[in-house]
Amino acid sequence: MMWSEKHRPQNISNMIGNEESRAAIIEWFTKWKKGTKPLLLIGPPGIGKTTIAYLSAKQFGYDLIGLNASDVRSKNRINEILSPVLGNTTILGSPMIFVDEVDGIHGRGDYGGAEALIHILKEPTVPIILAANSDSKDKMRSIKKVVKTINFCPISPRLMRIYLENILTKENAKLSPGALIKIIDKSRGDIRSMINMTQSLVTGFNPQTEKSFESINVEEGINSFFKSNSIDEARGVLYSMQIDPREKIDSFYSSIIMSSLDKNSFAKYLDIISRADILYGKILKTQNWRLLRYLNETLIELYQNDDRIRYAKYNLSWPLLNRIRWDGKKIKSLSSFIAQRLHLSRSSFTTIGLPFVLFCIKNKKLDLDLEESFGEIIEKEMELIN
Amino acid sequence: MKFPGTCIICNEKIEINELGLWAKGIGVKHEKCSQIKELRCAICNGSAGCQSCEFQDACDIENVSPLCICKKCLDQKNPYDSYQKSIKKKLPALNLNLKT
Repeated sequence: MMWSEKHRPQNISNMIGNEESRAAIIEWFTKWKKGTKPLLLIGPPGIGKTTIAYLSAKQFGYDLIGLNASDVRSKNRINEILSPVLGNTTILGSPMIFVDEVDGIHGRGDYGGAEALIHILKEPTVPIILAANSDSKDKMRSIKKVVKTINFCPISPRLMRIYLENILTKENAKLSPGALIKIIDKSRGDIRSMINMTQSLVTGFNPQTEKSFESINVEEGINSFFKSNSIDEARGVLYSMQIDPREKIDSFYSSIIMSSLDKNSFAKYLDIISRADILYGKILKTQNWRLLRYLNETLIELYQNDDRIRYAKYNLSWPLLNRIRWDGKKIKSLSSFIAQRLHLSRSSFTTIGLPFVLFCIKNKKLDLDLEESFGEIIEKEMELIN
Repeated sequence: MKFPGTCIICNEKIEINELGLWAKGIGVKHEKCSQIKELRCAICNGSAGCQSCEFQDACDIENVSPLCICKKCLDQKNPYDSYQKSIKKKLPALNLNLKT
């Protein structure tokens, strides 16, 4: 079980930091009556905005209805979800609405959701709490006018330290003082991130190596991985490559296929890459990010002290990439020129007309009186249609 | 100053006739030290000692939650429990225990 869930505070007083803000929320609940302005909690991620909303509901006996930005994008969807709650009688007991990441509803994906939400916020019949990471967006202004704003700040590192040490004591786990300080430094006031990082170190999922806290770039990472003298060293390097998982898989893939390997090695390496790719695809499809922990353990199977593999950014050879770039540019300009004469769009001409035109030029049935600069590309393309 | 004292921010002496800011129950600090933002200890209500904190580089004093914990209180047994007790005492609203 994730420690961040297991050790989630059981009541508001168990939380740390933002003492005045927590007290203000309690006061707001104590005095709440129909028509009281909803609350907007503003602050960076991982400092307890969602936690306090859930804990207040629990402590004040409300049934919390949690929504996120995707639920409140359209007017219809908002009405569908909230109308039964906002009616005079409800079978839901004492409902309370919590809309998380409300700053995410604006923009192109907002189909009247913001306006519908503001309408509800103006005449609240149940307690409503909104949470946002920032209130600087223009469209947040209209929301801010109808709510009471409470700011949440990042937690000071020493407070985070006492919180973390309390969790470590409960888990009967230990962390070296250096590791403890580095974790707190890295988490920058984000309690959730601090707890997750600690769990991954303590449970051995992310091994404590000298490089555990360093972030190395992808090129250095791939080269050091294949040069490592032991699997543990390679694992350390792999975990230090703190990059997007897709980029990690792609970098291993391009480096392997651009190396001079025998076919058995290719088969072995590509099989491992395929499994990593399937796993990542599954994570994206199911949004089960907990599975991500197995990605590095799949990629570690690639380890072999194999100095034939060097980092390569592109999965095509440089001459081929160069040709795609420069020839593509010339084909584009050739197509624009002929398409204009044939009264076609450039894309239609390139897809449908160009092969026929090339055949006609080749069979000397067509003379387009083209500039000399197009000669080379036409020759190249004609060779390809042989 | 009429009497000598020790600055609660930098821990340096403040001599008689030197300029310092004094407040009952809190202590005295140099005029220049008073301009440095300093977090307060949630347990003892004194200065959190930001100038000598091990997290000095990582802590964004201007933006973090204003209460912290000083080294002395941190080294006590169960600083987390002491913090909880102290906060409940300071802000009785947090002591509310309705439906847990």
